[in-house]
Amino acid sequence: MWFPAWSLGRPDAPAEGAVLVVDTKAGVVACSGVDSDVGPGMPRRQAEALCPDATVLIRDIGEEARRFEPVVCQVEELIPRVEVIEPGKLLIPVTGAVKYYGGEPEVVELLQGKMTAAGHDVRLGLADGPFAAEWAARIAEPGTPLVIEDTRRFLSTLDVGTLSGHDDIVSVFRWLGVTTLGSLADLPREAIASRFGAEGLDVHRLAHGQDRVVGPRPIPPELAVEATYEDPLESLDQLAFAAKATAARLMVGLHREGMSPFRVTTELEAADGTVRSRVWRSMSPFSESALADRVWWQARAWVDTGVIPGGVVRIRLDPSDLSGAGRQLGMFEDVMSQVEAERAFARAQAIVGPEAVLQAQPQGGRLPTEQVDWRQWGEPESKPERSTDDPWPGATPSPAPALIPPRPTRFEVEWEGGIPTRVRLGTRWEPVTTWAGPWRLTGRWWRDEESVDRYQIVTSAGAFLCTVGSDGTFLAGIYD
Amino acid sequence: MTDRWDLSTRLIEPAPDLLVAQPGRIVELAGMAGMGLTRIGYRMLSEASRRSPMAVVDVRGWASPAAAWEAGIDRDNLVIVRCAESSTWGQLVAALCEGVPTVYAEVPSAVRDRDLRRLAALIRARQVRVVLRPLRGELPGGIAHLRIRAVGVVWEGAEVGHGRLTHRRLVLEASGKGAAGMVRQIEVEDAGEDAVHVVSGVVSRASGRAG
Repeated sequence: MWFPAWSLGRPDAPAEGAVLVVDTKAGVVACSGVDSDVGPGMPRRQAEALCPDATVLIRDIGEEARRFEPVVCQVEELIPRVEVIEPGKLLIPVTGAVKYYGGEPEVVELLQGKMTAAGHDVRLGLADGPFAAEWAARIAEPGTPLVIEDTRRFLSTLDVGTLSGHDDIVSVFRWLGVTTLGSLADLPREAIASRFGAEGLDVHRLAHGQDRVVGPRPIPPELAVEATYEDPLESLDQLAFAAKATAARLMVGLHREGMSPFRVTTELEAADGTVRSRVWRSMSPFSESALADRVWWQARAWVDTGVIPGGVVRIRLDPSDLSGAGRQLGMFEDVMSQVEAERAFARAQAIVGPEAVLQAQPQGGRLPTEQVDWRQWGEPESKPERSTDDPWPGATPSPAPALIPPRPTRFEVEWEGGIPTRVRLGTRWEPVTTWAGPWRLTGRWWRDEESVDRYQIVTSAGAFLCTVGSDGTFLAGIYD
Repeated sequence: MTDRWDLSTRLIEPAPDLLVAQPGRIVELAGMAGMGLTRIGYRMLSEASRRSPMAVVDVRGWASPAAAWEAGIDRDNLVIVRCAESSTWGQLVAALCEGVPTVYAEVPSAVRDRDLRRLAALIRARQVRVVLRPLRGELPGGIAHLRIRAVGVVWEGAEVGHGRLTHRRLVLEASGKGAAGMVRQIEVEDAGEDAVHVVSGVVSRASGRAG
C-alpha cells in the first residue's frame, strides 16, 4: 500500500501552487502542481531550476510518521500484522485475510474502499513478495488496485533500475545489455554467482520473483532487548536518546551472532500500562542508525498522538526476521570494533550535533573547497553534484591543502610589481621565499562571481594557497 | 631555498616505526600551522585507518579530507567531527576514544591539564592510536609518549612564478619516551603520496637529552 503524496500532506504545505518536498540527500521526494518533467528522485537544484516558483519544503520523516500512525491503525482494524517500511508505505501480509474475506479482490477492494473513504490517495499492489508488491503499487492507477497473478511475468517487464540499492551492479547489467528483470532472470544462476557474488544472487532471485529467501533461522529469545525506566520518559529528547541506546544494544547483540534484522517489532509501554507495538521492515538489513531512526519516529508518532499517556516506562525491540544474507562483513572487519565505533560516533553526534559529525567523498571542482562533498555521518553516500571524471581544467593542482578556511579569510600579502614579497602570519611579517602562479579562475558572471588569481606562496614557515581578486587577497588553504 | 638543509645527495628510505602511531601511545605534534604537521599526523595513522574507523576532531573547522585521502587515510573509514567548544572537547574525545580505535585530534588551548591527563589515561586503557595537535603551545609533560616538533619545511616545485608545489622536505625533532628519551632529528620527504620517506643518515642523529 503506497501513498505517493504522503509527504505533501503536511500542515505547512500550501494548498495551491507548486510544491516540492525534498530530502537533503535524496532530492525530490514528492511534488504537486509542477511541470511534468519534475518527479521524485530528481536532484533538488534541477527541480528548483525547472520550477522556480515552487514552494520547497524539507522532508520531516518524524512528522510524516506521526500523521501516518492513524492510517496504520485503520488498516490494522481490517488486517493485523501490518509492517511499516516508511511513512506512506506499508506491507500487509494478506494470506490469512484472503481466506477470511473470501478472496484477493475482496481484500484489496476493502482496503481501497476504506482508504478512499478516509480521503487518502492510495495505490494498492498485490503480489508474491514485498519487492513485486511494491512495484505493483507504484504502477497501479489511482483507485484501481493492481493484483498480480503471475509475479515472474510482471517482474520480467520491469527495468533493472527498479533494483534500488544495487546501483553499481545495475550499471554493469546495463553495460552488458541486460536492461530488464526478465533478461536478468534468463541468465544462468551459476554464471551470475560466479561473476557478481552474493549481491548478484540476491538481485537474480528478485528478478525471478523469489524475493529474499526467508530461512527458518532460530532467533535466541535473549536477542530481544528491553529497557525499563522508573521515571517515565516524557520529553521527546529523552525518548530520542532512549531509542538510540536501545537500538544500539539490539544491534550489538545481533552482530555478535552474525545477524542483522530485516524486521523489528517496536513495543512501548506507557505509564498507565498501555502497550503499543508496531513492526518496521526494511528491504535491506537495518543499520543501527536506521533502526534508531525508526524507533524514534514511532515513539514520536505515538507520543504526539496521545496514545502513550503519561510517558514511556518500557521500550522493547524484538528482531523478528534475521534470515537471508544479513550483514556481510569484510575479511578484516572486526564486528565488535565496527559496532563500538558506530556507537562512539552516535555519542559524538549527541554531544556536538549530527551536523558536526561528517563524512566526505571527492567531487569535481576547481577550488579545494569545491572538491569535497560532505554528508552527515550515518547518511548514505549519494552521487556527488560534480563528477570527478570530468576534466576540470584549471583545477588547483595536488597536493591538497590540509587546512582550508570554511569562510573567506583575509590574507595580508605585500606586493611589489605584481610579485609577492612578504606575508603577515599572526603578528609578524614573513618574507616570501618563492611562489607559483597566478592561475586565473574565471568566475561565472551570471552568478556574479568575479574572476580571481590563485597563488601558491611559500615562506620559511610554510606554504599557502591564496586567491587575489578586486576586493583583496584571501587565504584559500594552508599546506600543513 | 634548499641550502638551509643540504638534502640533494642523501638517500631516502621508508619511514621508521617512529612515524607510525602505536596503540595507547599518544603522539603530540607541536608546531604552527603551515609546518606540515597535519599531513604527518595523517600519515602516522593511515595504515590503521585502512583496518578500522578513524575520527578527526576538527576544532577550527579547517580540516580538509582531501589531504587526509592523499596521505593514505581510507575514505570510507574517515569521520570528521567538528567541535568548536573547548568545554565539550574533552567529553567528545573521550566518547570517541571509547569506541574508535584511531583518533587525530586538534587540542584547543583552553583545555585544562587535568582533563588532558584523564583523557591520556583513558587512551592508554583503551589502547587507542591517538595523535594530538595542540593549536597553541605544547601539551603538559607526561601526556605524550612521543612529541614531534616541526623545525623547518622546504617546499620544492615552485620557482618564482613558475611550476607548482610538488613535494617538501621537513625537519622534525622527536623527543619523549617514544624517541628513547633522546631528542632526535628526522628529515622526511613527502611527495604528496601515500608514503613518507626518511632521509638516510639523519634519522638516528641524537641532538641532546630529552627535556
